[in-house]
Amino acid sequence: MGQTDPMVRPPLDEPPAELRYRRRIAPLRSLRELWHARELMWALGEREFQARYAQTWLGIGWALITPILLMLVFMVFVNRVVSVNTHGAPYSVWVYLGLLPWTFFSSTVSRGGQILVFESSVLNKVRCPREVFPLSSLIVAGYDFALSVFVLGLLFLITGYEPHTAAIWVPLLLLIQVAFCAGVALGLSVLVVFVRDIGQAIPLMLQLGLFATPVAYDISAIPEKWQPVYAALNPLVGVIQGYRDTMLYGLHPPWRLVIPSAIAACVYLVGGYLLFKRLEPGIADVA
Amino acid sequence: MLPDGAIDAQRIWKRFRADRIPRSLREIADVGRPRSRGWRWALRDVDLQIDPGESVALIGANGSGKSTLLKILNGVMDPYAGTLDVRGRVGALIEVRTGIHPQLTGRQNVYIYGALIGMSRREVTQRFDEIVAFSEVEQAIDRHVKFYSSGMQMRLGFAVAAFLDPHIMLVDEVLAVGDASFQQRCLDKLRDMLANGTTLVFVSHDLAAVEASCRRGVLLEDGRVTADDAVHTVLKQYRKTVEQTALHTVGSDDPFRVLEASAHAPDGGLVHSEGTLAVRLSVAAPESRVVSACIGVSEGTAAPVIVVRRDLTLAAGTTEIACDLERVPLPKGRYSVWFGAFEGSGADLVPWRPVTDVDVYGPDLDPSPNGVVRLAPVHVSTRWETG
Repeated sequence: MGQTDPMVRPPLDEPPAELRYRRRIAPLRSLRELWHARELMWALGEREFQARYAQTWLGIGWALITPILLMLVFMVFVNRVVSVNTHGAPYSVWVYLGLLPWTFFSSTVSRGGQILVFESSVLNKVRCPREVFPLSSLIVAGYDFALSVFVLGLLFLITGYEPHTAAIWVPLLLLIQVAFCAGVALGLSVLVVFVRDIGQAIPLMLQLGLFATPVAYDISAIPEKWQPVYAALNPLVGVIQGYRDTMLYGLHPPWRLVIPSAIAACVYLVGGYLLFKRLEPGIADVA
Repeated sequence: MLPDGAIDAQRIWKRFRADRIPRSLREIADVGRPRSRGWRWALRDVDLQIDPGESVALIGANGSGKSTLLKILNGVMDPYAGTLDVRGRVGALIEVRTGIHPQLTGRQNVYIYGALIGMSRREVTQRFDEIVAFSEVEQAIDRHVKFYSSGMQMRLGFAVAAFLDPHIMLVDEVLAVGDASFQQRCLDKLRDMLANGTTLVFVSHDLAAVEASCRRGVLLEDGRVTADDAVHTVLKQYRKTVEQTALHTVGSDDPFRVLEASAHAPDGGLVHSEGTLAVRLSVAAPESRVVSACIGVSEGTAAPVIVVRRDLTLAAGTTEIACDLERVPLPKGRYSVWFGAFEGSGADLVPWRPVTDVDVYGPDLDPSPNGVVRLAPVHVSTRWETG
């Protein structure tokens, strides 16, 4: 066995400061671990998706109801009161394109933000990169998103409005959307573990957030010079505006909005990830 | 660079919050005032170096830090201070319902666990049938684990951890559930793994199982390592400390209490295997009372080997109780004698505690096969013949 006899050291009440355990944040190793855990991430996401709609009458219909219902609400109320200038596109498609990323965001954040608290029993037993849990909520939201895109196709058919070929830019916009949502979910989920108040505030913030995002109104409601700032603060602005400009009008993405949004999304993602990794060691202690 | 299967933990400290929980709504509502903050040290300056292939038992009372240490070795928790190096794949069975996630199927659990410890799908597939066969969940492998019985969950958890060829196997209280034959198969599997060079770190309150499967013992007391030696030596020390704390309770201020206790042969001499064990007690009582008195004999602090019961009257003042246990089937060793007195309703008058020790002289107990756990040490005279 040949180890040092602990009796040789005088018993201390507290560890000397130089002994403090510091976990190095090693991005490469963390990413490799995340890669090994991809299957867990998928399984968690799929399981959640299935479980949510199992034993319900409407099944996956529920995934479609939220955006459709909101769309109808906006059509009936908002569009009647303040008629929105959609530059010739049907308001239903126009508002639905805003609701798609918004629903994705709100579903990722509302579930991903709380997930470390929900899954605390698993956290304490299994060694795995913890970011798997908040990231799995992206997968659930992704399933819903895919279904909603199907509805979008139907909407184009019903309204007879043809999407434009500039839609090839959509994958780039999607990437911004996913990066932003992942960053927020990562950061919030770990903060909720330590400050439970934030968990209570998430639904409220999401309700307010819907109005801080140009879903029902047009970006022109914001003074021109503030628009890029707006897009940087809320990366969904660039995403939504991008979807509309490319798919509805066949324009290039509005770069002066998309670029600030893309940069901000990267900042959210990296910041959320670093915050997560920084606080990760304490999760198992308090969760 | 350490080889796979080695553990090097130096000066590990770990603390947990020990905040007072707000007791009333008013205390919860009292947002502004800072809550009293406290920390409790679960591990203090723990050193643990383990070579590949060693079998180490972590021994200690509840709350001594065993499970915390195991979780740190497993990487589920990070230490507060110290350095930690755990090499190789780690298979862990911590708490009964391990596995990955109760809401995934058994099959998913197996594959995901494999992926998490760095095995390819193919490698897991190669071992899949073995895992299912060992855990006896063939019928249920595609059902969610939350619908498994606790025995099935434990079997699957053990099989997944053990059959995916870990370099280090961490086991916490695995044998708590599961029937006897499965416990035996687990111990057999652990022994196989040890023979193949797997490092084993084992935590259990079942001291017999600990003794059967580990060579080295590490005693934790209040978060510190107080002994690190051959498992027999450490277990002996552990039993002694537990008995000492138990004996403290004799002679307390309770109205009903044991004043004195002794155990020896009827003539006051040494007790021999298959001889008579005479227990003598003085019990104080504030009033005359009919009680149900129990006397027990245990090896160390384990469950007693013998319990006898008799209804008798305690007089006001002091009552002397004499009980002779005849032809005690005890092998050589040190035993604790327990006493308790109970009302008809079963309520404690004198709580069930060890009251004294006795050494029994006689033949040693024959060693059992490796990995086989004897439920209790019982001496039986034997006559052998070979044809």
